[in-house]
Formats: sequence, structure tokens, C-alpha cells
Amino acid sequence: MAAAEKYARADEGILKAMDKPGRAYLAGLGLTASLAVIGGLLWAYQIKNGLGVAGYTHPISWAIYITNFVFWVGIAHSGTLISAVLFLFQARYRTSFNRPAEAMTVFALMVAGLFPLIHLGRSWVFYYLIPYPTQREIWVNFRSPLIWDVFAVGTYFTVSAVFFYVGMIPDLAIARRCRDGIRKKIYSVLSLGWNGTQREWKHYNMLYLFLASFATPLVASVHSVVSWDFAMSLLPGWHTTIFAPYFVAGAIFSGTAMVITLVVPMRKALNLYDYITDDHFESIAKILLLTSLIVSYAYIIEFGLAWYGGNVFETELFRYRALGHYKIFFWIMIACNSVIPLTLLAKKLRRNIPFLLIVSLFVNVGMWLERFVIIVSSLARDYDPYAWNALIYRPTFVEAGITLGAFGMFFMLYLIFLKTLPVLSISEIKEHM
Amino acid sequence: MDTPMFFEEKEEFLEALRRMVREGVPKERIRTITPFAVPEVDEVLPRPRSRVRLFALIGAGTGTATGFAFTILTSLEWGIIVGGKPVVSLPPFLIIAFALTILFGSLSTFLGFLLLSRLPSIRSIRAKQVYGNRFVILVEKGT
Repeated sequence: MAAAEKYARADEGILKAMDKPGRAYLAGLGLTASLAVIGGLLWAYQIKNGLGVAGYTHPISWAIYITNFVFWVGIAHSGTLISAVLFLFQARYRTSFNRPAEAMTVFALMVAGLFPLIHLGRSWVFYYLIPYPTQREIWVNFRSPLIWDVFAVGTYFTVSAVFFYVGMIPDLAIARRCRDGIRKKIYSVLSLGWNGTQREWKHYNMLYLFLASFATPLVASVHSVVSWDFAMSLLPGWHTTIFAPYFVAGAIFSGTAMVITLVVPMRKALNLYDYITDDHFESIAKILLLTSLIVSYAYIIEFGLAWYGGNVFETELFRYRALGHYKIFFWIMIACNSVIPLTLLAKKLRRNIPFLLIVSLFVNVGMWLERFVIIVSSLARDYDPYAWNALIYRPTFVEAGITLGAFGMFFMLYLIFLKTLPVLSISEIKEHM
Repeated sequence: MDTPMFFEEKEEFLEALRRMVREGVPKERIRTITPFAVPEVDEVLPRPRSRVRLFALIGAGTGTATGFAFTILTSLEWGIIVGGKPVVSLPPFLIIAFALTILFGSLSTFLGFLLLSRLPSIRSIRAKQVYGNRFVILVEKGT
């Protein structure tokens, strides 16, 4: 096949995803949008009635909302790993995943950013977190991990959004050429008038390299900062030095699982078999397996530290985590994150795409539960034994609904992305043809 | 500007480009347009290295300085001891400075790219003619 024909086929094949949506797509969009609206309404209900409608019970004052925050920030990480770190390592299979992964990063951060606000009793004063000159002449406390979070997550969102957009500029120029009417006009503006001259490519390549280099440390730093929200406290189960690497590995693990969860159905629905192959999935499955092993190692180390440290509260907390009120979640977490991914040691299973999708779903569940277990079981066993068995935390319908709403919002944004922007990096795919 | 020369294949295009340079066409008058990045073009037509990296350096440096200056100066403005830590606590301030290094560095690199590539280009946004998947060589007329 002549090169020009191959390139035209790539344009057509990938941009075909942006054609008029079918019924299944509209049904999916309707369902996810409904969930998002329900979540929004429940948040409004909570704002009206106060945080009492959430299931917080002393001493458990952080629960599902913070679980969701950590989960969604973690999901974002794999996008940066795939788009930036694998770019620097020149791993070719990244071109099959980088665009969906970058979109996932941006949307996951949009969802994550809402949870600290939802968790606030008075959401409308969230701007107290932002350093600005006030009439009280007092500034934010830069020694507080919550302020580090504002800077870390804010930076991460901005850099990820810029990286996502920059990667799309040459593809938006292709979309502009292949579309007409109002869409052509929109893509013309979004592509900034990109032509593909030598000068543009030279500066573009340098920009991409630098953005990848700037984004790479963020993979390690952002979730480290999130982990310090916990580790800087004195609570047993939280106050430990392994939290930063443990959280970073967990973030990449959960994000990789979410990439698989999103890309497997996307490949089938949009018929992208020519561009996303089983070899590519096998490579990404290896990342999942490796990070699962690191996370499992961290679980063992946590118990080891508690046992070897000899602190009675720490020892009791870890006994409680495995055998106490929330033990079911702990053991489901172990099964999902440490046992089931071990099946990927078999090459045959790594290349079995439906199986890989199922594993990724288990990991998503397991990683959400991991954050729940860390947060809730640690708070339930703090330094106040009188409160230990007083009340068991149970999420209310408001918390459950807002959590489902977050999933709805995330998948709704992803579905909108599929129909409005190029789903794969067309110019990079052509480069490797 | 001479009539553009179009090529369907990358190799064909590179061969024509090399031949043109061999035949003595001044390199600075040759312009190329390609559907994807072709590193060989820079070998045939060497251009000075992209100055985007300078924007990265200046942005990142400004971010670090801003991060430290902002945290230190605002803390000194209200010198209250919080949690038994010094008013100027460099380890936590480093986290803010690090985040701003990345933030300012990225945004400044993006700005540098736009300036140096002369984007957004209103003329190109409104242009009817696009070259699609073809490789194009344009030779600017000499004076």
C-alpha cells in the first residue's frame, strides 16, 4: 500500500470515532450524565443540610469523600506515566494509549478536585485554601499538607491539561482538514493554524520533550504530597515513612488498571484494532503486574513495621485492619490487588484481552477499597480506646450517591472526549508506519 | 515563492530535498511542510537549536524563586509560630517551590513555543489551502 494511502486510512480510521453517535453511545452518555446530575443534587442536599447527612461518626471524620479524592488523584497518575515517562524511555507502545490516558488524567483530576470541596462543611469558603491578600493580613499556613495539596494538585491539573492539548495540536489540524461546517471552524481555531512546517515541528518537539520532562517528576511528587496528608499526622497506620513510595506505586497501579478498563471497550467500539494491538496490551499488563507486586510488598512492609516497631497502638491497628470490623474490605483488597494480578505472570493470560479487562476491574475495586481501609480503619483505632467500638462507620445514601455521581461524571467526560477529539495520536502513529 | 513541490512518499521527498541542496539551492530559502515530524529534515537543512529550552529554564528558575520568596515573605509578614515550627520553615516551603518550578516552567515553555512558532496564526487559521498528508518543499525566491 502506498504511504499516502496508509496515512489517509489512519486519518479516516481514527477520526471515524468522531462520527455521529449511535444508540449505545447515547444510552451510555445518558446514564453517566444522570449519575453525575444525581451526585450534584446530593451535594446540594448536603450543602443545605450540613455534613450531618454524611455518615461521619467520631473519631471517623474522614471517610468516603477523602477515599474518592485519593482514588481519583491516583487514577490520574498512570496517564502521566504513559504519556511522559514512557515518552522519555521511547517506548513505542505508548502511542496506542497516550491520548486516552492523558484525557483520563485531566478528567480524573477534575473529579478529584471536587472531593476536598465536598468534604468541607462550608464548601463555599474553599477559597480560604488559596493564598491571596486578605483584609485580615493573614496568609495560608504553608507548613500544612493541605496547602501542599492545593499547589501539587493545581500544578498537576494545569500541566496535564497543557500536555493533553499540546499533544493534540497536529491532530486537530488533521481534524480540521477532514471535517466541514462549524466543526471545521472550531478545529481550525483549536489547531492554532498549525501547518507542519520545519520550524513548527522543531519547536514542537522541543516543547514536547520539556513538557514530558516537567511532568515526569510530578508522577512521583503529587501522590507523595497526597500521602503526606496522612503521613504528617501522628495516627497509627498513617504516620509512616513508606507512605510516599507506597502511594505512588498504588497510583500507577490503579491508573494503569483504569487505562485498560477504558481502552479495551474503546478499541472494540471504535474498531481500532489496527492501532491498539494485543502486543500493546501485553506491555501495559506488565506495568500492572509490576506495580501490583510493589503494592503487595508495601502491604507486607506495613505489617512488618508494626510488628518490629513494637508500638502497641500500631500493632493493634494492624491486627484490627486484618481482623476487625472492616476486615472484609481488607481481604477483598488483598484478593484484588495482590492475588488476582498474579495471574498475569502467565503470558497467555496477559494476551487474553477480556481476561485483562476483568483483572483491571478487580484492581479498580481493590484500589478504591485500599484507600477506604487506610483511611477508615486507621481512624477507627486511634489513641482513644474508649471510642474504638462505640460506633461503626457506615456510608449514607448521600455519600454513596456522590461517589456514584463522580464515576458518572468521569465516564461522561470520557464519552464526550471520544466524540469530539482525536482519540489516538494520529501524527505519531503515522511517524511509526 | 516558487510553486510548491509535492511528494507522496517520505523517502522521495527526502531524496528531492538532498538533491536540491547538492545542486546548490541556498538552504535558508528552502521550506518544508510534513504531515508528521521528520528528523532527517533537520539533518539536511540544519537550523539553530530551538530556543524553547531557554523559556523552560527561565520559567523554571522564576518558579523556584517565586515559590521560596512567596512562602518566606508571607510567613514573615505574620511571624506567628505554628505547630512549634520556625516561621521560615524551608523543608515545607521547598514543596511549594518545587510545584511552582514545574508550573512556571511548563507554562513558560508553552508560551515560548507559541512565540517562536508564530502560533496562533490568524492567516493559517483562515487559509483554505492545506497540504494534507503530502510532503511539501517550497523554495523562496531570491532577491
